Amino acid sequence: MRHNNDKRWSGKTRGGSFGYRFFIFLIDRLGIRFAYVFLAFVVIYFIPFAPKATVASWWYARNILKKNRIGSSLFLFVNYYRFGQTLIDKVAVSAGKRERYQFVFDESYSRFLEILDQERGAIMVSAHVGNWEIGTPFFDKWGKKMHIVMLDAEYRKIKEMLEQHSERRNYNLLPLDETDGLSNIFRVKAILDRHEYICFQGDRFLENMQPAEVRFLGKTARFPIGPFLLASRLQVPMIFYFSMREPGMKYKFYFYIVQPLSKESGPKSEIQLLEQYVQALEGIIQQYPSQWFNYYRFWEER
Amino acid sequence: MDKIALIKLINENLAEEFEVDVDTITPEAHLMETLDLDSLDLVDMVVLIEQNFHFTPKAADFREIATFQDFYNFVESKMNEAQ
Repeated sequence: MRHNNDKRWSGKTRGGSFGYRFFIFLIDRLGIRFAYVFLAFVVIYFIPFAPKATVASWWYARNILKKNRIGSSLFLFVNYYRFGQTLIDKVAVSAGKRERYQFVFDESYSRFLEILDQERGAIMVSAHVGNWEIGTPFFDKWGKKMHIVMLDAEYRKIKEMLEQHSERRNYNLLPLDETDGLSNIFRVKAILDRHEYICFQGDRFLENMQPAEVRFLGKTARFPIGPFLLASRLQVPMIFYFSMREPGMKYKFYFYIVQPLSKESGPKSEIQLLEQYVQALEGIIQQYPSQWFNYYRFWEER
Repeated sequence: MDKIALIKLINENLAEEFEVDVDTITPEAHLMETLDLDSLDLVDMVVLIEQNFHFTPKAADFREIATFQDFYNFVESKMNEAQ
């Protein structure tokens, strides 16, 4: 398999602290709508000046969404704009403007809360689509038992900065040491043994993490196998969670609840879980194609 | 349980769990290499220990273990502690 490190996710997330602070200022002083308007100009700047992200987004539009050149050009704008909107919304909600938005839950929400209410751990898996974080206030009392896995040091810094402007954070961050897989395993297991919850981003892995190759939206892509293997071996339920922006100031939350098969039922029960996740994620992407926010070459070139 | 019986039980469990020939497991053989384990596979090892030997190892414990002999000694000491 060919690995081109330039094209893979490097563990860094683009976005400087000045930009975030500026948008926080805009939202505070001039409102969310004004921030959206200003965002359009920022997007126009980003298209040429964030070339790696733009190339990745263009490739996604052309090869996955099968758009023509004009459609792909428009898509670049929409994709960046949606991403910016989710960041603005995240800041606005965390700064106490939650009442400006409408939140809708799919029919599995009550089942999701039942899972959290059980005296056992659970693994949640989301993705870099939509705006997962905006749903965390609705995790209610269970949020205190949630541990969001972080792999990206820069992202953590931005989180810390955002939190300075927030009312509160109702979940825990679990930064993983990317060089010490052994300790990570034990930390995650200890949390599950305490009947708490681990939340992964199922579409991210680094080069030193074990991936699995699966077909995703018609092409081969690599996903981390770790979250699925943990659920399979430790026999804890999995919840695939996505929070997607809808027209207007509205978000819809989706929950897919799966129970891992026992190891005895098949040698690759973690692969079955991964395939269920990928299937759920494909459904979300097909419904919300402009809310795919992985700005690096996600798919293998074959 | 005496040490010979414990070693036999450990070897049988490891061979079955990690699908290796029990004859490849010798005291001086390297545990991780022989069983073809990476850090994620240690989840299986932890579950195996919990289910069969009734204690939960720590990450630091595994840093001390290189060979199967180290592993036998580790399990034996933990079981003795528990008694």
